[in-house]
Amino acid sequence: MAGIDDTKAQLLRGVVQDNINVLRDVRVGRLERRKRRNGSWLWPGLIAAGLTSLVISWSVLPKTESPPVSAAPVQQGAASASDALEPALAETFFEPKPIDRGTIPLSIKTVVIDPGHGGDPGATSASGLTEKEITLDVALRLRRILQGAPFKVLLTRETDRFMSLDKRVNFANENKADLFLSIHVNWMEPHSIRALETYYVGPTDDPATLELASRENKDSGYSLSDYKKILEKIYVDVRRDESRALAYTISRRLYRSLKAHNPKLENRGVKTAPFVVLIGTQMPAILVEIACLSNEDEAELLTTENYRENIAMALAKGIRSYAHAFKVADRKAVH
Amino acid sequence: MEETNDTLCVGIDLGTSRSSISASNGERHVIDSYVGWPVDMVARKLVKKAVLVGRDALDNRSMLDLRRPLERGVVKEGSEKDHEAVQELVRYLISLVGIKPKGKNKPKVRAVVGVPAEAFRVSRQHLRSTIDGVADNLMMVSEPFAVAYGLEALLHALVIDIGAGTADFCVMQGHYPTEEDQKTLPNAGDSIDEQLMKLIRERHPDAQFSIHMIREWKEKHSFVGEPKDRIIVSVPIRGKATEIDITQEMRTACESILPPVCETLATLLMKVEPEYQDKVRNNVILAGGTSLIAGLPAAITKVLQELGGGRVSVVNDPVFAGSDGSLAIARDASPADWDKLSL
Repeated sequence: MAGIDDTKAQLLRGVVQDNINVLRDVRVGRLERRKRRNGSWLWPGLIAAGLTSLVISWSVLPKTESPPVSAAPVQQGAASASDALEPALAETFFEPKPIDRGTIPLSIKTVVIDPGHGGDPGATSASGLTEKEITLDVALRLRRILQGAPFKVLLTRETDRFMSLDKRVNFANENKADLFLSIHVNWMEPHSIRALETYYVGPTDDPATLELASRENKDSGYSLSDYKKILEKIYVDVRRDESRALAYTISRRLYRSLKAHNPKLENRGVKTAPFVVLIGTQMPAILVEIACLSNEDEAELLTTENYRENIAMALAKGIRSYAHAFKVADRKAVH
Repeated sequence: MEETNDTLCVGIDLGTSRSSISASNGERHVIDSYVGWPVDMVARKLVKKAVLVGRDALDNRSMLDLRRPLERGVVKEGSEKDHEAVQELVRYLISLVGIKPKGKNKPKVRAVVGVPAEAFRVSRQHLRSTIDGVADNLMMVSEPFAVAYGLEALLHALVIDIGAGTADFCVMQGHYPTEEDQKTLPNAGDSIDEQLMKLIRERHPDAQFSIHMIREWKEKHSFVGEPKDRIIVSVPIRGKATEIDITQEMRTACESILPPVCETLATLLMKVEPEYQDKVRNNVILAGGTSLIAGLPAAITKVLQELGGGRVSVVNDPVFAGSDGSLAIARDASPADWDKLSL
């Protein structure tokens, strides 16, 4: 019995230590954030910002097998910024960790709006309304509303023309966009559903989301499983955190604005999915399914200019709100 | 540990399909891991609650935004609603053992929660953040380790905890198990459900059935090996109630987990020190809801014959083995240890 007790005591020490390690990581995360906002964020921030692009480049290369070499220097920078936490950080030196938003002193200068589909119609309602015309109309309205904003707004397409997903991704990357918003219209079963959905990059096991991703990714040239493998490696990417923040801002604005005009509207919230346009872009990126063309009442609403204008207004508010939050975060970091 | 009136220890097995709680006040409960919110005001009026948990949620699912928030035993990524659902689930479990969240003289709740063996560090941090505010102190342990601890199978034992989302393996060698000693497979109850659904749909394309019906059939009739009786179930086909035989489909679906489970068992056994392999082979313990599949211990024993023979037993109480083990850990941990793990 004494033997068992000794064994139990040894096991319990292991359990407690293991949990302390997990807890210390959580607390380290909180303290790091606080400390950086208070001052010495700049140089680790610059290192992190500079190396983030390397992390991302590594992440989207399917054939790379070794871990990202950039992960270690990012941690190194963080460790130097929090002297008191050295032992804990040393333990996790080579593990990729989420990079805090406060470490990247950037502001929004270029926004790329991507009207989904074009050439190919995308989803089509029973009455013949197509996804490609709705997305283009809303995108053009959005650009007009954002005129005068302190950032440039570019569209991946301005006419009804086919544009492959990789070209959309390249367009955003080459124009050094700071934010990417892809607009789509959903098609769901049962047709009674009227739902908003907002996605940012990440893996998913939800069969409905996988099916949607397959539909939206259909001209990518890669298989979904290829992307899933890649995504499992990049989920700690700083871009993911920013994309999530953007997704929540847009999702809330959109739902709040549209609910009054479309009372049966349901907000299915923010989700992760492996859409090609979200994987390849190198900036915070989201994809919004603004309505369901499978629902005839909602399709009818989409035929009205007023409703489309409301969608564009809500998206504009979301983008402005996110850009403003970014600026505030910057100011706090500087002070 | 010395227990006082102002402290309550609880062990929680947070499962994909079912979650159980065992408390130091003697209370034990199991619930279906479902949480649902009324979809609109009409539904809210009908169900008379802001949120429904467990069987209540499942029974009223047509009126609810229903969530099964634990994927592979950890909080599903991507939806705030799933995080809320986990909180509601844990809060509800704790309320079942007599703790009201804002009750007067509420004792301090010290919780040990079982998570899959290979849960990543980030997932455990995630779970810790999610449970923040529901318990006062929290420890997380691997599910099979909790089972082993509760059974006092601490030396030369191999626990296989087969739940809905995962099959978790853990070799107990008298020390806290390392990553090398543990393994998690996604081949468990849910993968059987998917397989069964696919097979029945292939054979009866016009039959109408839901995943909930599939789960009920599996819980009643699952088996591996030779069937004792034919499995006949009733489903609507073109609107007419029709009896169909699903014996072969059930067998194929249930047996689909055998190859990966046996392969992993053999791999873990090979890692044990050679002089102890025989002892471990003779102390294989099955736990978890999916371990109740008829004929499963015999099928695994048969595979062990090829490795030199062995003995497979099923825990007496598969539903509570995890939460009872977690409770034992919670009770044995010292107050000083608990103080280090406050939320």
